[in-house]
Amino acid sequence: MSFYDWMLALHLLSVFAVAASLVLFSALVVVGRRMSTLEETTLVFRLGRVGGPLNGVGMGLALAFGIILALKSSDFEIWNGWIIIAFVLWALVGAIGGWTGSYYTAAQRLADEGKEAEVIERLKAPYGAVLHIVTWILFVLLLLDMIFKPGA
Amino acid sequence: MTVLASIRPHDIDLALFFHVGGAMILVGGLFTAACATIVGWRDESQRLRRFAVMTLLAVALPGWIVMRAAAEWTYSKEHLNDLPSDPTWIGIGFVVSDIGGLLLLIALVLGGVGMRRSRRGEGDTLLRTSGAIAAILLVAYAVVVWAMGAKPS
Repeated sequence: MSFYDWMLALHLLSVFAVAASLVLFSALVVVGRRMSTLEETTLVFRLGRVGGPLNGVGMGLALAFGIILALKSSDFEIWNGWIIIAFVLWALVGAIGGWTGSYYTAAQRLADEGKEAEVIERLKAPYGAVLHIVTWILFVLLLLDMIFKPGA
Repeated sequence: MTVLASIRPHDIDLALFFHVGGAMILVGGLFTAACATIVGWRDESQRLRRFAVMTLLAVALPGWIVMRAAAEWTYSKEHLNDLPSDPTWIGIGFVVSDIGGLLLLIALVLGGVGMRRSRRGEGDTLLRTSGAIAAILLVAYAVVVWAMGAKPS
């Protein structure tokens, strides 16, 4: 196995880590909207603490290994259109995902302070769910770009 | 095989998209179920363990079906069945996905029985076993993802 093969495998594993964290957050967003007591919401926040670091590390490593792949490949150049599109989509996924994370982290702080009504209101409000759906749409577009490689 | 993968024809892209997408949903479902089981392992409440079983049913199982069906689609589109024998990385994928599908069904049956018994305050061991199988499957599928990328011959 070559260096390139290893970088591709690690790039894929990093992207799967990001996808796994997004699936975890989706499950939490869905169940969070049905919760009515502060005690129930502990489920969301205990699992959310696992997903956050995985998402951050996965995003960082996916970018790092992706750049190495683009530089080492004999078939592609880092300035190819589909690679530039991937960088833009990656940045958007990071930005919108970051906003989503901040929204739910604020809800977690309210839960730590015992403010039940505000926490339930935040979990039920469409704002966080919409941000999460937008993050998913951008992630799927990134996956489509990586697989279809438009222009390559 | 790596060269084939990197310059593959575009007509397999859609099949590959569904294969990778399904695999991501499957891995995400297993990750969520495994995390919920591990985080709530010592909890007196069964809430996290029940959440794990529901995630396996609503997320991991549909992901496995899409991943496995699209794997066959990609396999035929790429004419890999014309090769005299399957490359190692495809062999790893088939073995783990087929045995993994069986284990996922076992985890769902155990979890389903555990959910029924949980109404009487029982079924903890079954729910924990279901989540533990999800954790084992997660490790196995991580190896498959590595194999799909590195393509060991």
